[in-house]
Amino acid sequence: MAERVLPPSGASSKPRRSEAPSRWLSHPPVGPTFARWTAVLLVACGALTVFFPFFWMAVTSLKTVPEIQRVPLQILPDNWLNLANYREVFEREPFGRFLVNSALIASISALSSVVVSSLAGYGFAKFDFPGKSVFFFAIIGIIMVPFQSVVVPLYLWVNRLGLVDTYLGLLAPDLVSVFGVFLMRQTIEAVPGDYIDAARIDGCSEIGIFRRVILPTVKPALATLAIIKFMWAWNHFLWPLVVVSSTRMKVVTLGLTSFTNIYFIEFNLVTAAAVISVLPILIIFLTLQKWVVQAVVMSGLKG
Amino acid sequence: MQRWVRLLLPHTYIDRQRRAGLLFVLPALLYFCLVFLVPLAQSILGSFYFMRPDGVARFVGLRLYNRVLTDPLFWSSVRNTVTLLLISLPATVILGLAVSLGLNRLVSLSWRNTWAVMYFMPFSVSLVAAALVWQWIYDPVYGFANYLFGLVGLLPQRWLQSVELVLPAVAVINVWVRLGFDTMIFLAALQSIPAEYYEAAEIDGANSRQRFFRITLPLLNPQIVMVCILELAFNFQVFDQVYATTQGGPAGASSTVIVLLYETAFKYFRLGDASVMAVFVFVSLLVVTLLQWRFFRKPVEY
Repeated sequence: MAERVLPPSGASSKPRRSEAPSRWLSHPPVGPTFARWTAVLLVACGALTVFFPFFWMAVTSLKTVPEIQRVPLQILPDNWLNLANYREVFEREPFGRFLVNSALIASISALSSVVVSSLAGYGFAKFDFPGKSVFFFAIIGIIMVPFQSVVVPLYLWVNRLGLVDTYLGLLAPDLVSVFGVFLMRQTIEAVPGDYIDAARIDGCSEIGIFRRVILPTVKPALATLAIIKFMWAWNHFLWPLVVVSSTRMKVVTLGLTSFTNIYFIEFNLVTAAAVISVLPILIIFLTLQKWVVQAVVMSGLKG
Repeated sequence: MQRWVRLLLPHTYIDRQRRAGLLFVLPALLYFCLVFLVPLAQSILGSFYFMRPDGVARFVGLRLYNRVLTDPLFWSSVRNTVTLLLISLPATVILGLAVSLGLNRLVSLSWRNTWAVMYFMPFSVSLVAAALVWQWIYDPVYGFANYLFGLVGLLPQRWLQSVELVLPAVAVINVWVRLGFDTMIFLAALQSIPAEYYEAAEIDGANSRQRFFRITLPLLNPQIVMVCILELAFNFQVFDQVYATTQGGPAGASSTVIVLLYETAFKYFRLGDASVMAVFVFVSLLVVTLLQWRFFRKPVEY
């Protein structure tokens, strides 16, 4: 192994361009103290920079218009409890309704995704039937189809079925995701076949095995899928933009854009609305981040 | 044929098992056919038909392709998309790699977790909200970006309203949104590299740069290729960020292919032209991904 990983000792002394800060880039977690503290410092600075827009959004939402237009710029709001912007957001637009719509769409999409994906995952993982691999790779191949390439025909279908501006129309492309089928297949494949055989010998029906043996053992994956799907559905923009025409069917992402226009943008209101739209998902994310990270890593390592 | 008949009328246990398996995957199969495969086929077919306003479609062969592919507006939006891609893809991947290596060096797990979550937070936010907050940061008069520029003595810029800076500015939003995702994937991969490799290398006298380029980077190759493909797809489909802020402006300088597709289809109702663009997006993404997969994915077997 060592021969393959390392260069012959002659080559290692060859001078090399050192454009990378190699001390810092080198891997093992414990290194010289100086290098380690540089890493800590850089990571922390980067993290704070990434975090800054959240902070900026929150403080701006607490400022009045004269405050956000003050020169020189003032970072913190005069009054930390100034919630007038939030009140105005709810007064100007039915933002509560938008939140309910979003929550409804995201929950249904998470639920249906979990049900259909785990059924399909079980079928693909533990059964043998003609065309199995063809079907599986056809589904995986759909990852390659950008949603934007199907949005026009999809809209025409939704229109023909009279589902424009309805919940069903909003949900149509969001009920199952390829990622879900993939995730559930990978997870269920790891469930020992003995469990299933034992249940079968005891006379359990196939649906019974699915409900009583498979689902309880893959609960973590179900949770992961539900959370990630909820987040995706909550954040969708293009499809709602296409399919929603009335104010009462709008979701939060659409509601956000109603505070902007070409001529003047009241950023104190925009940021207040943004906080409202982001907060639920951020709370979910921060409390359940372990699962989200797992989903991302799943999609990353096995993809 | 006989196989399928036996599935419908199962006699044996094996046949019943096969039917059960098929029934389990059937809902997903039907759904994906209806929502992705049929519309995709329709997009492809639709690109050969001219839709009259009264709803009658007329076969026109490649004439719509001819029209779209000779339209300077279309090519300028392709150019914008590619520019955006060329800025944000390398930036995201390199920064993600750097951040994951830095995080991996942290000894304290709880601090590592805290910083990692901060990097990852933008991933959970909708692109619309992200873009609007950044639009406020980019505000030419009261924005924070120009405040910082003023602090270090640079002239204020018009950012999203400037023809030259709008694409880099949008690219920064993309990097901000995607950085945490890439970092997480790299970090997980880094943690799965056995420490023995590094110990062995150190005993053999490899310095830290050699360890990085000869061990870490080759072992991360699958993840790097995959992240590049995902970033490619993400950047090719840029819509929300642009539509919520600049709507493709100023003067079309930030109009991406998808923004153009949306406007062609849902503002001007030229569905045939939009189908041509949809086919273009699909085919180019497919080709680039396959090429990337083919040429950059090296089998890793240590």
